[in-house]
Amino acid sequence: MNARIALIFTALALAAGPARAADAKKLKLKPGAEGKVCLDCHGSQFDDILKKAFVHTPVKSRDCTGCHNPHASDHGKLLSAEPSQACLACHDVVPAKARSTHKVVAEKGCVGCHDPHASAFKKNLLKGGNDLCAGCHKPIAEQAQKAKFKHKPIEQGGCVACHDPHGSAKAPSLLKSDVPELCVACHKTDKPIFAKQHQGYPVAKARCTSCHDPHGSGKRGMLYENVHPPVAKAMCSQCHEAPTSAQPLRTRQAGVALCRGCHAQKLNEFGEKARTHRPLLDGAACLSCHGPHASKEKGLLKGDMIQVCGSCHADTIRRQAISPTKHAPVKDGQCTACHDPHSAAAPINLKNPDVVESCGQCHDWLKHSSHPMGEKLKDPRNKNLHIQCLSCHRAHGTEFKKLMPFPSTSELCTKCHEQFRR
Amino acid sequence: MSANRALRLLVLLLPLAAGTARGEALVLSWSSSVYQDAQEVPLAAPEGVACTASSFAVADTGKQRILLFAMKPGGVAAQTGEVKLSQVPVPVRLQADSKGNLLALDGKSHKIVRINPAGAFAGFVDLKGGPAAPAVVAFKLDAGDGLYALDAASGKLLVADAAGAVSRQVELPKGPLFTDLTVVGGTVFAVDGVGATVWSVEREGKAFAQVGASLKDRMSFPAYITSFQGKLLLVDQNGMGIVTLGLDGSYLGRQLALGWNDGFVYYPSQLCFNEGGDAFLADRGNNRVQLFTTK
Repeated sequence: MNARIALIFTALALAAGPARAADAKKLKLKPGAEGKVCLDCHGSQFDDILKKAFVHTPVKSRDCTGCHNPHASDHGKLLSAEPSQACLACHDVVPAKARSTHKVVAEKGCVGCHDPHASAFKKNLLKGGNDLCAGCHKPIAEQAQKAKFKHKPIEQGGCVACHDPHGSAKAPSLLKSDVPELCVACHKTDKPIFAKQHQGYPVAKARCTSCHDPHGSGKRGMLYENVHPPVAKAMCSQCHEAPTSAQPLRTRQAGVALCRGCHAQKLNEFGEKARTHRPLLDGAACLSCHGPHASKEKGLLKGDMIQVCGSCHADTIRRQAISPTKHAPVKDGQCTACHDPHSAAAPINLKNPDVVESCGQCHDWLKHSSHPMGEKLKDPRNKNLHIQCLSCHRAHGTEFKKLMPFPSTSELCTKCHEQFRR
Repeated sequence: MSANRALRLLVLLLPLAAGTARGEALVLSWSSSVYQDAQEVPLAAPEGVACTASSFAVADTGKQRILLFAMKPGGVAAQTGEVKLSQVPVPVRLQADSKGNLLALDGKSHKIVRINPAGAFAGFVDLKGGPAAPAVVAFKLDAGDGLYALDAASGKLLVADAAGAVSRQVELPKGPLFTDLTVVGGTVFAVDGVGATVWSVEREGKAFAQVGASLKDRMSFPAYITSFQGKLLLVDQNGMGIVTLGLDGSYLGRQLALGWNDGFVYYPSQLCFNEGGDAFLADRGNNRVQLFTTK
């Protein structure tokens, strides 16, 4: 493997060599002018840089023109090309047809993680090991570090054991290959222990990450923190056909009928209210939003609420994203602070149809020191409405400040107080 | 003016002139609003409306009732009845058939209820021959009272005769969240609220195909679709407006906007047109039904 990497680097260096030579030729540089001359002026600046453990090859060989144009450039720091393009001339590390790309590569370019001149860390990284990744992925890094049951590859090889930091042509989340192929490269599915741990069910081709947290967990077997009780009790056959049957992974009943077996009372309660959330009616029913096995999120949600709710209500999530004023429950993905995700008596599944009361749970001051509101105060624009919070604000945000539906306070206020309109 | 310049000007003006002509064909001009019944009881979150040349019905969803009104030239004549049935505790969508019956979709049971011209319960529409436990989320009638329903439980379009006998089932594409459908000359158009796409299947077609591109950049969440004068009209519920499309999915325009005054909308719901060109819009968030002319 190492030999192969060395071969690739050699090939890259050979390929890059003629290009740099061509640059020097194009610039008609005198011998040494590729870099040594540069240090006449920039020498003091490079004294410390050159002492670092890992120096970028062109810097080491005093070939500044490998990356910079000594006279003029359309790019910052006299770079000969756009910053990342300059790197790609030698380092072809981002897959052309990537299934996933690293955000930092797209947004900050190579210098988001690498120092182009020299560094104390391998591959000219700004920080060593997982510390660099932890700079952005703090929650995952902390989880991996603190987990009671740790994933060995993270301890031994770090994040790059499973992820390619530049991009992946094979899998989402920068994974080197997709799940389960990546997992089964280490976890041998043909061993008896594997079958025993999975109650004899043929899960070799199942998506491991639907139950297991690859970054470590407090639960034995690295299961996600929230485990469906039948899974926790290893009672897979409560929902699935017997492991010895012809179709062992098939569920005993389809759709909501299976969930009803345990959650009948809850489902009946949902049905008693006037408005049922549409996903509950669809064929997938509960599984539209919940995972059947284990989840990082409470209530076995498939993801956080911004992801789960946003998979249908993307327009609402987007409205918050572009809103200059953020509404905490929406920003934090707490959709259920105001909405009942299963069913409700009021439109848009509001938990409390009394808007003033609902908003007052957090904004309690508004009940006593705000614009007059309440059922006794008719909206001058519409006799079937009374003044309440949503008379002036939109809860998920607007393109204007303070969640207002109009660009200025005067435009908003004069909708009712017409006498002040100019 | 040189010939070239004249030609360039003509090329520039032609699309503008065509756009105006298209817009003129379907400009909704507010004419009146219905805020209350004859006893001055206000409407509450009305979600459904059905109309004929001489009458219209309102699903006053928040008040768990259906109100019947008569029309006169130039506007609303009077309320002619109130229907309150235990079988339809949450009326959300209405359709009028050719025999004077009203069909109402109950948002709680997801069943269609038939109401006779006298306002009495005339039975559930039993979708015989269809999936075992359908959950109807939207339906429409064609000119011959043929019934087209979106069944969320099976993920199918169900086509039935006036009695409810299912003669055809078409799988809905996986992925989109279909919120409503309409029928134009036997072709069924269904709208996907999440992706803001329109799909269609022809009279004898076996599968839906997407019509045009996604209109997500022009609509937030289309929750209702109807047709008028050979065009599709989509109610952009969260975007607070009405979007007009050609039958080929081409975008023709957008009208109405968020607001509380007459002529503005707040979470609009069902839209219907009568033969006279009047449009009726259930303006749910504004607790009213608005009437528009299209002339």
